[in-house]
Amino acid sequence: MTFKSFMKELNGNRVEGELIRTMFYSLLTSFLLLGILYYIKLRFIEDFIPKYGFFLFFAALSYALIIPSVRQIRAYSELPCMGGMMVGMTTGMITGFLPGFYLASTNGMFVGSVFGMILGIILGIYNGKCCGIMGVMEGIMAGFMGGLMGAMTAFMLFNDNLKPATLIVFLISGVIMLLLNYMVYKEMKNEERRKYEDHLFTILLTFILMTITTWLMVFGPRSGVFG
Amino acid sequence: MAFIMIVLILVVGRFIFAKGNNGNGNVVVNNEQTGEGQKIILSQKDLNYKDAVAETGKPIVISADSSVRGCLRSVVFNVNGKKYSKYLRSPEDTLELPGLSKGTYTFSCSMGMGFGKLIVK
Repeated sequence: MTFKSFMKELNGNRVEGELIRTMFYSLLTSFLLLGILYYIKLRFIEDFIPKYGFFLFFAALSYALIIPSVRQIRAYSELPCMGGMMVGMTTGMITGFLPGFYLASTNGMFVGSVFGMILGIILGIYNGKCCGIMGVMEGIMAGFMGGLMGAMTAFMLFNDNLKPATLIVFLISGVIMLLLNYMVYKEMKNEERRKYEDHLFTILLTFILMTITTWLMVFGPRSGVFG
Repeated sequence: MAFIMIVLILVVGRFIFAKGNNGNGNVVVNNEQTGEGQKIILSQKDLNYKDAVAETGKPIVISADSSVRGCLRSVVFNVNGKKYSKYLRSPEDTLELPGLSKGTYTFSCSMGMGFGKLIVK
């Protein structure tokens, strides 16, 4: 079965064999960055971990789920139209929804939705362009919608079990991203990999995303109700 | 690699959750007490709250008159990182805030749809 062969490929020689390593490098980069920032600056901020720790932790986990799909698409460069549209849509949606959700939980709906939309649209376009304009359009639409929806959901759950909802949202998004990796493998299992690269891109992208997320969460503008 | 990653997540997660339970960053105070204090009655104007005025330093008892409808009856204040929230089902229900220092405090309904200002003079 294809799913069994996909699971086997997670330890294989194709790009799928690098997905777990990419996740690991992304997580390591995020945690090291947070650790250093915490030691240098963030620990002096009152109630830093109770206020922001939970959401930054999940942001790091989320980027570790999203970035392997970017690597996988970069490795194949071009996908068939239908598959590429799904790639653009899924990447835009999840990349918009999750960071928007986390940031709206600490800073309010405006900042969360703007950040979610920008991130969702950028990564949606970046991944979706593997099949041309249709994937790009899907990326823009999904990033736009995901960013707004993530922030709105967080803000509406603000007074009603926000943290358990964060866990549920994260788990569902994790399953979606895993299935995206599987779908790309299924579409491309007979094709050759086009691009070989080291993990510099993973580390750099994680570093940029986590830095912006942390800065916005701690020092960024926030809605009045967040004090 | 996967094993190391899981251990890493568990270690960092444990640190975050252990430290996260000590603070009051996400505390929701759904208060029931009926102590003394200056009484503030919230009203609705269009789809938001009318601005309310209070005196500095005195505890505040907030209620909402019958003009306040829908989700605006569930009021949320965020004062110094601590949330005060209550569903003011009837005009008799009250939400109590501690004495506040001079300034303007923004509050909203629990869904973040309607906003208002509490001006402390």
